[in-house]
Amino acid sequence: MGLKEYLNDIVEAVVTTAKGMRITARYGLDPKEETTLQYPEERWELPERYRGFLHNDINTCISCNMCVKTCPMDCISLEAVRGADKKMVLASYDINIGRCMYCGLCVEVCPPKSLKHSLGYEMASVNREQLILRFVQEDASEVKARVARQVAEAAAKAESPAAGKPAPPAKGETKE
Amino acid sequence: MEALAISLIKAVPFLGAVPVWAVALVLMVAVAAVVLAFALTFEGVGSLVLRKVAGDIQVRIGPNRVGPNGVLQFLADGVKLILKEDLTPASADRPLFKMAPYFVFVGSFAGFVVVPFGVGLIAADLNIGVYYVMAVSSLVVIGILLAGWSSNNKWALLGGMRGAAQIISYEIPVGLALIPAVMIAGSLSLQDIVRSQGGLWGIFGWNLFHNPFTFFSFFLYFTAAQAETNQTPFDLPEAESELVSGYNVEYSGIRFGYFFLAEFGDMFVVAALTTALFLGGWNIPFFHAETLPWIWGNLLSLGVFLGKAFTIVLIMMWVRWTLPRIRVDQLMRLSWKYLIPLTFFNLLGVSLWLLVFNGKGIPAMIASLFG
Repeated sequence: MGLKEYLNDIVEAVVTTAKGMRITARYGLDPKEETTLQYPEERWELPERYRGFLHNDINTCISCNMCVKTCPMDCISLEAVRGADKKMVLASYDINIGRCMYCGLCVEVCPPKSLKHSLGYEMASVNREQLILRFVQEDASEVKARVARQVAEAAAKAESPAAGKPAPPAKGETKE
Repeated sequence: MEALAISLIKAVPFLGAVPVWAVALVLMVAVAAVVLAFALTFEGVGSLVLRKVAGDIQVRIGPNRVGPNGVLQFLADGVKLILKEDLTPASADRPLFKMAPYFVFVGSFAGFVVVPFGVGLIAADLNIGVYYVMAVSSLVVIGILLAGWSSNNKWALLGGMRGAAQIISYEIPVGLALIPAVMIAGSLSLQDIVRSQGGLWGIFGWNLFHNPFTFFSFFLYFTAAQAETNQTPFDLPEAESELVSGYNVEYSGIRFGYFFLAEFGDMFVVAALTTALFLGGWNIPFFHAETLPWIWGNLLSLGVFLGKAFTIVLIMMWVRWTLPRIRVDQLMRLSWKYLIPLTFFNLLGVSLWLLVFNGKGIPAMIASLFG
């Protein structure tokens, strides 16, 4: 190593150190440049079409089973029975969000657009049971029994048009 | 210390019956306690500032949970270190393992003895001050090597070996870079060196501006000292990305705390030496600190000294978060092929300068030119 390279090395060391220190000083002194987000207190602004947890609006759901069929992970399970007015009534609609891979296929196929991605992303839990989202609050067997009663009553009403009173008790049950 | 004890006995009437050595002993313990309290406070606050500076430079926030804006973080850290279990590995060499942190801590804390905090604020104005600091800071090598060896862990051993090689190599440029200041003052006592930089020129009395060679000497010393205290561009003994944590990998609890304190203690001693030897120490610009009333002179000079020393510490942290760690062979090359020849060259230059210009610096010459 000649003297020229030797001195060159020294100059290079000084220059590069100065350069680096200028950059770090710029970052250190600029108060605006802070990328840390204080998470529980501050939140990200989520994009409009963010794929968070799935949410099904059971009032508009027509129980068509499209989401169940299209789901690659088999995470949606649906039970429905035909009601007195020939429409399907949901007995249970569960999404195992622990299995869901947020592909969005079920949302794509949903005919009444009742199944949607919400903006939720916080759902830490201690066991897998808690990761199953249940959209029908009542027990499935209860719903089935109630619908079966309504169907039977409607059938009885159709046979004898004079009896027109059996509806109220059924409605009271729904409210519970 | 004995002179202080005698004057104290003369000043306070009921101390007349107490022997001088007893008063001197009590005074020594008191001074040591004050210096230790200062050192521990500096180390605590220093660690917080280090993390905050790191946060700023790396575009993040740093500790901000304990206390307002995180200012009590160092207390939480200290409590954690004290409460943690002090583990000793089963296959470690127990006595050596337990002894090592004390060597490191003593080596770093003993340097505080000769730090000239102010006009009269120095624990002991040894007439071999600079030599003493060089000597006691070498004690750290023994501690690091002991810690690395006795842990019986490959990372620790590698870290300890690297530490020993590095600190011994860099002691030579550190010593050689300090000699110009000693030559200008004609004394090894730190107080004498600081006094030699006084005068009414303000900052131009500093050794930094004495002549071009001392100017370079300052940077050479700063670089070598950064390496000697295992600061980041040269933190090979504890390189966390390759050696996990280096020589202190097996330590936990308060024994790890000692290593941690020693690191920050070293940092302050180096900053204090830089201040005293090159940046005019406690000299107040445009004033004679020694002609002021005792209390004001001491307070002002203490403030000036700490201001300069803390600025140097901040610059060390700044360098620490700027440069990446260099390789072992690069480290050795930097010391033996670059720093040592350059410091020798500087030493020669300063010697010739003092011989040719009869000990006058450039600012003194310019001042005499204008009368």
